[in-house]
Amino acid sequence: MKLEIKNLSKSFSEKEVLRDISLTAESGKALGLLGRNGAGKTTTIRIVMGVFYQNSGDILIDGKPFDRNNIRIGYLPEERGLYPKKKIGEQLIYFGMLRGLSKKQAVRNTVRWLERMGMSEYKDKKLETLSKGNQQKIQLAVTLLCDPQLVILDEPFSGLDPVNAMLLKDVIKEVIDGGAMVLFSSHQMNYIEEFCDDIAILNSGKIVLSGNITEIKRSYPRNMIEIGSLQKNNIAPFIIHNMGDISETVETDEKDPIIRVKLKRAGDKMKLMNALLDEKFDIDSFKVCEPSLNDIFVEYTEGGI
Amino acid sequence: MKQMLKILKFEYLNCVKNKAFIIVTVVLMAAVFLVVLIPGIISGMSSDGGADDEEGTKSIIAVNSSVYDDKTIRDEFSAFYPECDIKITDENIKSLKDNVNNGEYLFAVYIDEELSCSYITVNNSMFSESGQNLYDIIKNMYCIKYLGEHGIASDEAKKILNPAITQNTITTGTDQTKNFLPVYFLMCVSFMAVATYGQLVAQSVVTEKNTRAMELLITCAKPSHLIFGKVIGSGLAGLTQLTLIALTGIASVSSGPDAGINEFMSQYFNIPVLTVIYFLVFFIIGYFMVAFLLGALASFASKSEDLNTLISPVVLVLSVVYLVLIFMMQSEDLGGSVLNVLSYLPISGPLAMFVRVSLTNVEVWDICLSLVLQVVEVYLLGMLAAAIYKIGVLMYGNPPKLNEIIRLLNVQRKADKARKIG
Repeated sequence: MKLEIKNLSKSFSEKEVLRDISLTAESGKALGLLGRNGAGKTTTIRIVMGVFYQNSGDILIDGKPFDRNNIRIGYLPEERGLYPKKKIGEQLIYFGMLRGLSKKQAVRNTVRWLERMGMSEYKDKKLETLSKGNQQKIQLAVTLLCDPQLVILDEPFSGLDPVNAMLLKDVIKEVIDGGAMVLFSSHQMNYIEEFCDDIAILNSGKIVLSGNITEIKRSYPRNMIEIGSLQKNNIAPFIIHNMGDISETVETDEKDPIIRVKLKRAGDKMKLMNALLDEKFDIDSFKVCEPSLNDIFVEYTEGGI
Repeated sequence: MKQMLKILKFEYLNCVKNKAFIIVTVVLMAAVFLVVLIPGIISGMSSDGGADDEEGTKSIIAVNSSVYDDKTIRDEFSAFYPECDIKITDENIKSLKDNVNNGEYLFAVYIDEELSCSYITVNNSMFSESGQNLYDIIKNMYCIKYLGEHGIASDEAKKILNPAITQNTITTGTDQTKNFLPVYFLMCVSFMAVATYGQLVAQSVVTEKNTRAMELLITCAKPSHLIFGKVIGSGLAGLTQLTLIALTGIASVSSGPDAGINEFMSQYFNIPVLTVIYFLVFFIIGYFMVAFLLGALASFASKSEDLNTLISPVVLVLSVVYLVLIFMMQSEDLGGSVLNVLSYLPISGPLAMFVRVSLTNVEVWDICLSLVLQVVEVYLLGMLAAAIYKIGVLMYGNPPKLNEIIRLLNVQRKADKARKIG
């Protein structure tokens, strides 16, 4: 299954919030939606969920207009919220039924997901009696209760402790492996890198970068080399004095045994490595430095909004 | 439709399982039980009308009179107190007081002059009719004596004083004397129930918005399904509560002791079936109108404190309508054009039409026209409420002004239209 968002635009009064957004997500994969606060991520998600209508543009599933009634959707909104004074089991069943499950299925899935979240004992408790982290887990159970084909997670990790974050990570991986299509919005780049094959960076309502994360990283110049060695104080002078024709800058890390060399041409990587081996330096690691997702995000969103 | 039924069921169970709702229902049922039975029981227990005592012996009323003859006294007192023995005595006031005090006499009357007497009783109840009875008895005895002195025999005098008049009232329309109190009572119930259950819907919307459950709900179901489900669910819960209270009233009336229901209370329960049917139909329509408006307005409230400000215009209009109708009922201006107009308008229509059909003669076409108009009004209000609700539920911050709401509705309408064309 393939979800395509084509040339989506949205204005509130005079303010243009989304401008000609295009995205693609596929089953069994996660698409990370990145952007600073107010960039348009939640508006995009809300349009997909039918909360708002777009001013222009199309949302398609396998090339056909997106009909929310024909696809099971799990939605974890940015603004978490359930009924604090209702029993957890009752509200899970209710939301499951609203998402199209029969009562029997809803009851079965409630038991299954509460068990998966380690929350079975709280089935007959009121939501307000749980801690914030546990309420978050119930919210995720509500999201996944209908065995969704499309999962939309808006900042799923906010407010979770490391143990619960780990559980959530495992659950999201299972969902992706199970063939669901995941739309994932977060500010936490490590999670995006962990789950998502593709990303789209939004800035001021426009997509400023989109595509496969690996390819995006590979598209950057690969001329920054990181060498790990305890002999950093010998290696750095050697490169400066003997390899000046291929290196542009050489830096030694103050704390860690690492030397960073910026080559004039990415193709001279092997030449540098062979020279160091010929000199029989004790080298622990030799790798091309790729930009982190954080670096890419900052590069594309700085000065926006 | 399926979606709406799920929401309806959830809302209904939410209401009827709510502790506050259960407590209010039980308290109201108990209150109805007490209101129906207690006054009757108290008046039965403390009746000075001369009920038989436990052993089956009759209560005694003692009369000391030197101015009227014994037969006239017996005849007149017996006419008012047929269940009591009338004892003619020459005891003085002190002795009469002692005997009333020790319970030998139900009460005593000391007639010292033709138009002057002393009424001796242990307690003079607020609701006692003895004062008026004594006045009538003395007046009759005085007239009989006076006429006798002028040559008219006492039997003749009685016929003159109490002529048997046969009066037939032929009503071509509705007999207001029979319906007035039940209609007045049902209108009060309708007003209070519509306002209360309408606010229940409003409160439910604010709670869902406050707890942020709304964003999830709005993506699970259409706003029209959400608001219709909520309004119908809460309405059914309200009807359940009203039915239980009414059944308690009926059970109290039918199972209470004979003395349990006094004449005054029975007027409220002696409601014609047709009036009850009209009440139910117009109550339901009125509830829908008010609940849709309150639910829609409540969607703009970000916190509970905003709710009262937002819904007060609707509650105020409803209160004014109620007061105007009460005033019109008492001023006998029930056939006027004002009431006719009110019976076609939203909010005022159901209450006004209920008053008209129950207390005046309304043509069938008029009732049908009003019903059709009101059903259309309910539908339009429902659609408007759904549109407002969709805008309101995701708005946080200060509630918007009316012109802002209209502008947002226009934007929404254009977006819907563009989407349909697209």
